Amino acid sequence: MAAVTLTNVVKRFGSFEVVHGADIDIADGEFVVFVGPSGCGKSTLLRMIAGLEDISGGKIAIGGKVVNDVEPADRGIAMVFQSYALYPHMTVEQNLSFGLRMNGNPKADTERRVKRAAEILCIDELMQRRPKQLSGGQRQRVAIGRAIVREPQVFLFDEPLSNLDAELRVQMRVEISRLHKELGVTMVYVTHDQTEAMTLADRIVVLKGGNVEQIGAPLDLYDDPANRFVAGFIGSPKMNFITAKVVETSNSAATVELINHGGARLRKPLCKALPAVGAEVVLGVRPEHFFEVGEGDCDIPVKADVAEHLGSVSYVYANAGAEELIVEREAARQRASGDHFTVSIKAERALLFDKTGARIR
Amino acid sequence: MRYRNATAYRFLTPYLLIFAVFWIWPIISSFLISFQATRTVPWRFAPTFNWGRLIGDSAFFNALKNTLLILVIQVPVMISLAIVMAVLLNSPLLKARGLYRFAFFAPVVVGEVAYSAVFRLMFSLDFGIVNKLLNSVGLPKVDWFSNVTPAMALIMIAVTWRWAGYNAIIILAGLQSIPEDVYEAATLDRVSKVKQFFHITLPLLKPVIVFCAVLSIIGTMQLFTEPFLITERGGPGGGTETLGLLLYRQGFRSLNFGYASAIAYTMAGLAIAITLVQLWLTREPK
Repeated sequence: MAAVTLTNVVKRFGSFEVVHGADIDIADGEFVVFVGPSGCGKSTLLRMIAGLEDISGGKIAIGGKVVNDVEPADRGIAMVFQSYALYPHMTVEQNLSFGLRMNGNPKADTERRVKRAAEILCIDELMQRRPKQLSGGQRQRVAIGRAIVREPQVFLFDEPLSNLDAELRVQMRVEISRLHKELGVTMVYVTHDQTEAMTLADRIVVLKGGNVEQIGAPLDLYDDPANRFVAGFIGSPKMNFITAKVVETSNSAATVELINHGGARLRKPLCKALPAVGAEVVLGVRPEHFFEVGEGDCDIPVKADVAEHLGSVSYVYANAGAEELIVEREAARQRASGDHFTVSIKAERALLFDKTGARIR
Repeated sequence: MRYRNATAYRFLTPYLLIFAVFWIWPIISSFLISFQATRTVPWRFAPTFNWGRLIGDSAFFNALKNTLLILVIQVPVMISLAIVMAVLLNSPLLKARGLYRFAFFAPVVVGEVAYSAVFRLMFSLDFGIVNKLLNSVGLPKVDWFSNVTPAMALIMIAVTWRWAGYNAIIILAGLQSIPEDVYEAATLDRVSKVKQFFHITLPLLKPVIVFCAVLSIIGTMQLFTEPFLITERGGPGGGTETLGLLLYRQGFRSLNFGYASAIAYTMAGLAIAITLVQLWLTREPK
């Protein structure tokens, strides 16, 4: 087991900088998920930790040892690839043992490691099959098994579930989580799926355009996002953003007028510097934080465009003024398309962002 | 035939007719001719005449021996060379890759007569650059056209020069279809580049290599141009005569179409048999 530390890590392809000085501390035995949209640099960061990409600046340390110039095989890591990267001409058993055999590992030890990995992943029955004879989930298990036999200090996962169907993804998610608890090793996991990030991670690193936007525990990111990007990226369905303007500031609070909602006003208590009167701001409200009329501090009339009934909850895609809002309702209170109704916002559950997307606290 | 297919077949009819007349019929006809004595007028049906002669014909066995010798030596050498060329072409370190790719492929598009003439000049006893180079490093001149072994080597060199690049391009396509992350996984497994080549690249290239080998076997079984033009009709003294050349000599010099047909079917049968054996030996384990 080992901690992983990234200090001001920069990656350039030619003159194009894709990672702009990432600082990330991953504790020994922690499960950290890098999440962000396509092109944010999350896979590049992972590949730099693995040593498959050179770093253009900064330092990467694994287990306290700087590994910038250490060969991938000597970093004590194992990686599970998005496409599984299994050797197609080898059986499952050969896939698992290939690296050990090529390095002259004693036969008995190789067999022990392969057997242990097969038992952990319940793939004993598949040992003589070839990758093309396996389902997607089985291939992924073999890929994880190949990582396990290396007995690494750090596991790296590069979008390992993105090629699986929804049901299998949930199943494998649980298995990876179980594996982390069983092995207790450090795991770094890359995904663009925020649900995977929320369910698996001890801590999430949210990336955008090569910058670390925020690092924190899943619920901290959900409840207390640092900026509008994190607020919008974490949570499904995503947070609603309502255009507003500061009309009054007094006693550690700002009163904002919701521009597209007939002048509805909300007084938002703040603990830091107050925004200027007249400043354009954005109010962030999660779908489940719309309340019944009178329960909140500010009412907004909306019209249901589409209603999705999922059983325990319903999502109403509503039109309010010029803005689309997603409102979560309990199933018992479900609405039909075309319904007019009013929702209420509680100031304590609403977040305020300035024009640049930074949080106003 | 379903009615909706009728229109399609009507459009196909001209092609099918031409195919039947110029492909199917000659194949059947030559098979029938192989059972006839064709040096009498009129031709007469003699089922064992040509096939019987084949079994006892020393010229046939000489040509067969030469053809198989080229097959056994030249094809593996050429395929090995093509693999090396393909790996070099695939290297990210190689600059001007397009130029090399063109250079490797160019021999295929050079006219056969032109390239044969150039080879004759290059390997000429007194004026050829090859002998001059041999001399310059202290080796004796080689009479490439008067002795059987050098002549055979010359044929193999020429065929290899002409077709190695072509096979390299096919193998390169196969190389580029191997996912990069398989190598990355091996790198993480501390597998050296050499071991990666032998344990990953070669096994994954097997279908492409087999394809190239099959093409080369068929090509070698039909080998005609090089022994005809470079070593002057299979010389010296039939030392480089191949089955293709013997067929030509029998069919179009001696006008013995029946025997030439029997040779042609033997060549086709051998090519199929060798290919089947090779496919069986290199089959995917279940």
